[in-house]
Amino acid sequence: MKASTQERLKSTAAHVFLIGFIALILFPFLMVIAISFRKGNFALGALIPTGEDLSLEHWKYVLGIPYTETMPDGSVRTVQASTPVLQWFWNSLKVSTSASLLIILLSGTAAYAFARMQFAAREQLLKSLLILQVFPMVLALVAIYALLQLIGEFIPAFGLNTHPGLVLTYLGGIAIYIWMIKGYFDTIPVSIEESAKIDGATHFQAFVRILLPMSAPIFAVVFILSFISHISEYPVASVVLQTEGKWTLAVGAQSFLYEQNYLWGKFAATAVLSGLPITVMFLFCQRFLISGLTSGGVKE
Amino acid sequence: MGIVSIKTLDKTYPASGKNPAFRAVKGIDLEIPDGEFIVLVGPSGCGKSTTLRMVAGLEKISGGTISIDGVVVNDLLPKDRGIAMVFQNYALYPHLTLFENMAFGLRLAKTPKTEIHRRVTDAAKILGLENILERKPAALSGGQRQRVAVGRSIVRDPKVFLFDEPLSNLDAKMRVQMRSEIAKLHARLGTTMIYVTHDQVEAMTMGDRICVMKDGEIMQVADPLTLYNKPDNVFVAGFIGSPPMNLFKGTLERREGRLFFHETAEADALFVPLTGQMAKLVAGREGKPVFFGIRPENISESPHAIDSTPITATVELSEPMGSETNVYLKTGAGNLIARLHTERLIAMGDSLTIHLNLAKAHLFDATTEQVIR
Repeated sequence: MKASTQERLKSTAAHVFLIGFIALILFPFLMVIAISFRKGNFALGALIPTGEDLSLEHWKYVLGIPYTETMPDGSVRTVQASTPVLQWFWNSLKVSTSASLLIILLSGTAAYAFARMQFAAREQLLKSLLILQVFPMVLALVAIYALLQLIGEFIPAFGLNTHPGLVLTYLGGIAIYIWMIKGYFDTIPVSIEESAKIDGATHFQAFVRILLPMSAPIFAVVFILSFISHISEYPVASVVLQTEGKWTLAVGAQSFLYEQNYLWGKFAATAVLSGLPITVMFLFCQRFLISGLTSGGVKE
Repeated sequence: MGIVSIKTLDKTYPASGKNPAFRAVKGIDLEIPDGEFIVLVGPSGCGKSTTLRMVAGLEKISGGTISIDGVVVNDLLPKDRGIAMVFQNYALYPHLTLFENMAFGLRLAKTPKTEIHRRVTDAAKILGLENILERKPAALSGGQRQRVAVGRSIVRDPKVFLFDEPLSNLDAKMRVQMRSEIAKLHARLGTTMIYVTHDQVEAMTMGDRICVMKDGEIMQVADPLTLYNKPDNVFVAGFIGSPPMNLFKGTLERREGRLFFHETAEADALFVPLTGQMAKLVAGREGKPVFFGIRPENISESPHAIDSTPITATVELSEPMGSETNVYLKTGAGNLIARLHTERLIAMGDSLTIHLNLAKAHLFDATTEQVIR
């Protein structure tokens, strides 16, 4: 009896702690959602907007749907969004998806070389990759700006204020992904590829037909991580992309906050919008995040 | 056809980081006729796997040549050498079904579908896998997985099969079963097979010939019984057989016109009078250091053989096994193990007189470690 009371106490305490913890995480998120549905641009207010407070004006604005607004003097006017939020949304998707796909391609092949091939200065290269990654990309903003301008003179499609140019700079930050994928490759026994080689596979065929299918989980992880970090990336995007029509959501959302006026409502709606593709991507990638994909091939 | 000819084969791993350069295989020569089942055996690090991997084309050759059917294959890709290999850890493709595992090589070679189907099902029939071809490797037991790996090799229809310790990961019972299955497979296919193992029982039971290796060199190549009865050197003598051959270091001495082997020891030194053929063999070597070797089963309680010689020693340990008893007798440097066919119990501390069959004993030169014949 005494033991079961203690057990119950323990379990209650654990639940209280966990629920409190989840609330702590969810609260800011719920606040952002609340702000996006609240009339006017106020950061504070009820967590669940009701009645007079509830309004879809920010969402209509963000989605480019005209809506009516009552002015302080009592007159009513129709508002049509002047900023292309949906265009930003599309830009973000385009940049993040293509950057993530290219990152998988580049870091996957690089990781294969680091994990499986012997070449001069292999160890040193691996370590220097990690050290370089210690410096945030923001520190190289000036260099990135100058480089893109220079590239733009020869290949305009990859210059400043272009999406390919932005993707190009994002491809510079793949060291951490190379390390992650290499770590995964290292756990896959070499003998599987050797046996593919005896079966007549080239290096490339062994990589594509044997190693890649076994490595789906790590590629899913890398894709998600890269997608999240690039859809929310602000500093580089804000420098590279200069005209409103080219902005990504992160840059665009920031434009709602200027010194004279913080448009919290529109900012919040944009923020929630940028979370949508991440959620969708996560649900999609989840089916690759299965364990046991490599089991059975060798005796562990 | 599958004649493998290895000439002055050398493998040196270059120095990397803190590791100095390492010469794993030291200029070995080996001729393997068509259809032979040859076993490379030796302790770990003896270069047997490296040799096999060089035949397979998974390891670059530092020196010498490997030819298969007269064609030097040093620079050929594994797939062009006409070989197939079974790995210790099976090395199956975990994301493919058994059928696709076996068909993988044929698909890469763009073999017609009907041909693939025929060859895979044929191989599956030989190995009793025909009902589980749609399963994936994870759903199989260890023995089945290794059978799939063998099947994958059969499908390639190679000139030479290479086995790299294929049974080491199986449990004892499955190992015995797979051992006979591979032996039967060899009898059925008649293809050349090179089999690497560290297990001398596998080597003795499976090989037409056995190649014993040590430190990158070949110690002896012979059929199992020759290897057992006529070892070329101390290493082979001690490596093959269980319990191992008794080996003692000592000198040859002549006293009162008779030859003796005198063990080098402080106390309880073994003192074996040498008679008959053995005495003639070593005449003129008096005073030289030698190894004296005799297998436990060539020692008996009564003098059966003509060339037998009696010695008396104290029993340190006796292990009755039922049909026979392993008796450990005290000698200078350790024990003389005798496998006696006796039905009485031998007590520890007893003084026992045993007879060594000198016709089956061996003397090795202590400096070259080669047998004196």
